[in-house]
Amino acid sequence: MPSTEKKSNSTPVLNNEMRDEIRKYFARYPTRQAVTLPALHVVNKYLRHVPLQAVVEIAELLELSPAQVQDTLSFYGFFPQQAPHGEVRAWVCRSISCALRGGEEVLAHMCAKAKIQPGETTANGKLTLEFGECLGACELAPCMLAGDQLVGHLTAESSEEFLASCGALGTS
Amino acid sequence: MPQLTINDDLVECRVGLTVLEAATRQGIVIPTLCHHADLSPVGSCRMCLVEVDSIDGQVAACTLQAEDGMRVRTESDAFAKSRRMVLQLLLRRYRRPDKLAAGENELERWARHYDVPILSSSNDELLGATRYPIDSDDNPFIRVDLNQCILCTRCVRACEEIQGRFVLGVGDRGEHSHIVAGAGTSMLDARCESCGACAAYCPTGALSDRMRVGQPEPDRSVVTTCSYCGVGCQFRLEVKQDQIVSVASHPEAAVNGMSLCVKGRYGWDYVHHRDRLLVPRVRSHVLDGRLRSAGEERSGWVDVDWDTALEVVARNLIRIKQEHSANAIGVLSSAKCTNEENYLIQKLARQVFGTHNVDHCARLCHSSTVAGLSMAVGSGAMSNSMRDIAEQSQALFVIGSNTTEQHPVFGAMLRQAVLRRNVPLVVADPRRIDLTEFATLHLRHRPGTDVALINGIMHVTLINKWHDVTFIDKRCEGFAELCASLEIYSPEYVAKITGVSALQIREAAEILATNRPMATIWAMGITQHTTGVMNVLALANLQMLLGNLGIPGGGVNPLRGQNNVQGACDMGALPNVFPGYQSVTDAAALQKFSEAWRCSNDAGVDLREISAGLTVTEMIEAAGQRGLRGLYILGEDPAMTEPDSNHARECLTNAEFVVLQEIFPSETARYCDVLLPGTSFAEKDGTFTNTERRVQLVRQAIPPMGDARPDWKIIAQLAQEMMRLENRTSVGPDAAWQYADTGEIMGEVARLTPIYAGVSHHRLIQGEQLQWPVRDERHEGTPILHVGEFTRGKGRFHAVDYLPPQEVPDSLFPLVMTTGRVLYHWHGGELTRRSTGLMSVYPETLLEIDASDAHRLGIGDGSMVRVSSRRGVMVAKAHLSARVFPGVVFGNFHFPAASNVNNVTIAALDPIAKIPEFKVCAVRVERC
Repeated sequence: MPSTEKKSNSTPVLNNEMRDEIRKYFARYPTRQAVTLPALHVVNKYLRHVPLQAVVEIAELLELSPAQVQDTLSFYGFFPQQAPHGEVRAWVCRSISCALRGGEEVLAHMCAKAKIQPGETTANGKLTLEFGECLGACELAPCMLAGDQLVGHLTAESSEEFLASCGALGTS
Repeated sequence: MPQLTINDDLVECRVGLTVLEAATRQGIVIPTLCHHADLSPVGSCRMCLVEVDSIDGQVAACTLQAEDGMRVRTESDAFAKSRRMVLQLLLRRYRRPDKLAAGENELERWARHYDVPILSSSNDELLGATRYPIDSDDNPFIRVDLNQCILCTRCVRACEEIQGRFVLGVGDRGEHSHIVAGAGTSMLDARCESCGACAAYCPTGALSDRMRVGQPEPDRSVVTTCSYCGVGCQFRLEVKQDQIVSVASHPEAAVNGMSLCVKGRYGWDYVHHRDRLLVPRVRSHVLDGRLRSAGEERSGWVDVDWDTALEVVARNLIRIKQEHSANAIGVLSSAKCTNEENYLIQKLARQVFGTHNVDHCARLCHSSTVAGLSMAVGSGAMSNSMRDIAEQSQALFVIGSNTTEQHPVFGAMLRQAVLRRNVPLVVADPRRIDLTEFATLHLRHRPGTDVALINGIMHVTLINKWHDVTFIDKRCEGFAELCASLEIYSPEYVAKITGVSALQIREAAEILATNRPMATIWAMGITQHTTGVMNVLALANLQMLLGNLGIPGGGVNPLRGQNNVQGACDMGALPNVFPGYQSVTDAAALQKFSEAWRCSNDAGVDLREISAGLTVTEMIEAAGQRGLRGLYILGEDPAMTEPDSNHARECLTNAEFVVLQEIFPSETARYCDVLLPGTSFAEKDGTFTNTERRVQLVRQAIPPMGDARPDWKIIAQLAQEMMRLENRTSVGPDAAWQYADTGEIMGEVARLTPIYAGVSHHRLIQGEQLQWPVRDERHEGTPILHVGEFTRGKGRFHAVDYLPPQEVPDSLFPLVMTTGRVLYHWHGGELTRRSTGLMSVYPETLLEIDASDAHRLGIGDGSMVRVSSRRGVMVAKAHLSARVFPGVVFGNFHFPAASNVNNVTIAALDPIAKIPEFKVCAVRVERC
């Protein structure tokens, strides 16, 4: 195989909708490379992860090399690559204020109820639970970010209600 | 100019330099790890921290601009302490392999300097488990061991900034950060070109040359010139006990600095290949003194000593001369051999044999350039230097040159021009070559429609009055005829011929005509056509029209293919010129050479009585017909490289007496009667002249293998033997063949060749950079031709019209075959097929075919296919590729026998230059 050539033997994962949404950012930034993070967010929004093939396609769209996109992607913990995260993704804060107010215990309780470990997704794909670092809402400690929603003053009860609301209670 | 004090020295430096650069120029050493002078500074390793009076705390010298009045301190106990800490932290990551230890690397050198202990892998309890797999990438040339990596990112920057390839990046973050290739793939899958820059810049051995692993430390290092393409890279051959152990970058190399390509850096192992010819061989029937009739098979080989071999050759050639004539002997010289050897072989042909039948492979690559440019501007050579093009052009026009694969280091320089200076690049090529990824515009014209395309661009230029009226008035002639001829080439008309849209032709013209200076660069895509000379004339027209000649960043720039094809032409290994392009029909030149080479008797020949000799293709044909009886071949491989090679092989089979001076039993060796073992570039001295007319030294690094001899010695010894047998003694001042070394041969060249008059080995050894013409010992050479005046006086416009290629597709042969080379191989492949690494990347011949054509023909990726033309058949593996467009296939001539694309190519010749049309013929492709 003459390896200097671009390979195009994998099935594409970016659809036209995603591509168009990424292209809309081009005008807003001075260079294509600056669109890397918005593009990763677009893909993650649709696919709930950014597989390697998507990295290759984003790179092509942004006229970059895959290494440049992967470099940026892997710097952040936000973009899973192996498998999609749950329909809801929640970060339970474990920084100092929340930790003092029982944040770690709440996370442990939620994990037990949802039958997963931190960082994992429930078997039905409804929820991914993760550690979070300070969410800047210490007055609400212990708190968590669920999707874009900030949830404060977490207790065992309120966290169970949350699990139930996203269909992640007692799943296995 | 800023003046600053560094330690106790007052330092003056250019505006824009950093404190580190100012210090380095003053000879003050500041320790660095992430910094390299060739790469952009990142200031991440914190080794180069210094104190400046006006700034609080310590600052990195590599990113700090030097300013007037600064007082800088680079050494103190506090610095030593902080540097020691930096090293300790880095060394916690660093696991020195116990066994591989190939000398001390930069990190280890600084550790020793600051007395910081290095833990080896056996100190596992301190270092913890190995973080990364050892030898984690399958690249056959570059070994990856991230356990040695300190994340200085030199490799990432080298790949981006030097090679323009962007293979590497830093993945993850914090303590998990590590170097990744592509999207976490292997390097080759991330489109690594294996240039080795990453390993060359790595300060720790995390990336290293695989071929160096397990090799002993070299005992010497010899700076020499690469034996592959015409770019003329220099490097160090590292040698241990007469074995090459590696090729290393030579940072002071004039053309390439640290850059090399995969062939130059890793393709040297052919030198020690077991196939090397070690003793002279003669066919048994020749030893018996028997003549073979036409078509009769050649007998077996007998190993002989040198005296016997040379006598056999001499006696047979003298016999042919006496029985037929001197013109029954032909010589094929070699663009791989040195200037000195090329000078000697044409002297052998002209003085000893008595014929102008001497030619070489330039006939097959740039003879149309030499002819066309001579007609237009008076000199067939590249007018500018690669560096001024890369650094000063405001636009680039690359037509018919796959630069990043065929002249890789110059290709990388072009990428740098686009990346660093945003130079607009127009690529005209039927294939979507790699360089098109850097192009502002890719004109994908049909093979063989170059004249129409270039005329279309000039048509638009004229209509918009973008041409340089002053330049044309003052320096050119024939403008009115050109204008008249261009009238019909409207973008719409040209679009019909070329397949490029009228809009793109207008865009191209605007880019090329309004950004000046613009450099035009071409190679075989322009020259290997029956209209080769016309293509070249059209490009010369374009550059004269725009006034882009005689200035840096402009010019007519044919890229010469082989390491010394420029030199072989310069030395007169051509049938119509003596050395330095002095015509064989010019009375004064004839007089000069006849006098210089005069012998006691003329052995029945007089150069003044014979006209120009035969070309390569004509000689092969004549040998087949037995008009030519003896053929002396120096390091050429016509069985592989001639067009319509079935016919060429038939001719060679019929040839009466063929001598081959070679380093391998090449394909051509089957058709020879005597084999004389010559030497590779590593085993001899001399000079090569690169594509930009730069004469560079080739230095012997190891002794010749076996009984092989340096080629210049073989030629000289044969000449002496023939002179002895013919009772000739030297009379003229340069008639003798006694050379103590190759420097003496260059002395003779300089005496007889005005453009080389000031070239000497002595000057080159002193480090002088000489680009011909070098008029005398004090002249500094000529980096740019045609400054102020053209070599021929006025530049001549030539009206040229589009003509279709000789063979166009029809119902029987519906596809266009176009041919060329690939990054990993070299011409007939005799060298690169004997390089283990190169073969592991590209082991067999591939035929590029568009997916829609392949689908229609029932061909899958990797299917074996039969490619037939009216002349022959080639068998290859199909490679479905978007590089070629529908209706066109691409093959290469690196692999022998059924795999060679020249089985199908056509021997249709350009009427002036006699170059064959390798780039277009009609073929049929079927599944095997």
